[in-house]
Amino acid sequence: MIRTLTGLIIVLVLGAVAAAVIPEMQMREELQGVGYSYVSRGMDDTGSSNLVTAVIVAYRGLDTLGEVVVLFCASTAVVLILTLYPIGIKASEPSRVVAFTAKVLPAPILLFGVYFIAHSHISPGGGFPGGTVIASVFLLVMLGSSSVPDGRGRLPAIESLAGLSFGLLGFWGIMTVGQFLNNAFLGTGTPGTIVSGGLIPLISIAIGAKVASEFSGVFKAFRNTGGTV
Amino acid sequence: MTETLMTVIVVTFGGMMITAAIAVLFVRDLLSAIIITGFVSLSASVMFLLMDAPDVAITEASIGAVLATMIFLWGRGKIGGDG
Repeated sequence: MIRTLTGLIIVLVLGAVAAAVIPEMQMREELQGVGYSYVSRGMDDTGSSNLVTAVIVAYRGLDTLGEVVVLFCASTAVVLILTLYPIGIKASEPSRVVAFTAKVLPAPILLFGVYFIAHSHISPGGGFPGGTVIASVFLLVMLGSSSVPDGRGRLPAIESLAGLSFGLLGFWGIMTVGQFLNNAFLGTGTPGTIVSGGLIPLISIAIGAKVASEFSGVFKAFRNTGGTV
Repeated sequence: MTETLMTVIVVTFGGMMITAAIAVLFVRDLLSAIIITGFVSLSASVMFLLMDAPDVAITEASIGAVLATMIFLWGRGKIGGDG
């Protein structure tokens, strides 16, 4: 009871702080500074009609690379701990509903995830969300079968390859125009078409493959009963 | 979508989210608490969609509502059911 009340009090205090701060926030009607620059020049600079992806992958590509490294460290740590001290969540026999869902839904969800990644420069999407959608397909298939999936060595290989290609795509910019993660040296194409946005689609695919294989590896590690990953 | 309808939907979902978030503290069963946490995430993703952020909505739905819930469930399995 004390723990419940403590939690409630913390939530109420946080709510009071938010209620006090939010009216003081000034909502700007017009964009200023770097935000204005991104919105007004973004499409010409990057050839991406999705400005969110343009900022994440092109303008702030270095930050995204750092984010990918952080995710890599986190997933490596989780998999390492679960390998040394295996939990070995038992693969119980799936119920009929789960088994049927795991047969029917993976293909459409997988297609959606791939679409989400491949069209990240045209419509709302991106490597991170698309990768998690693909990882959820892996999870669904895993829940639908009573056996432990065997992807020994392949998931880490995809993960490493995707991370490496992100870095190499960055270095490609250094080799050609002398700028790391330069987006536009291949030409940006017509915004709104599938082959546009310079390097953005390629980097999105790399991020998507990396995130998908990382999360899948973490899920697989939960089922790990000992032995090699 | 009209302004009034939008307000009604946002207030409804916001109210459900707050109610569910408080309910998590008071339910006895750990399984119920996990499912309600997943519901809060799913409502948050609907809110993101209403605020014209479909990519954030997808991220919240897949990470918050599916992957995090699953990891909580496995954690519950590890510590042995009711707690």
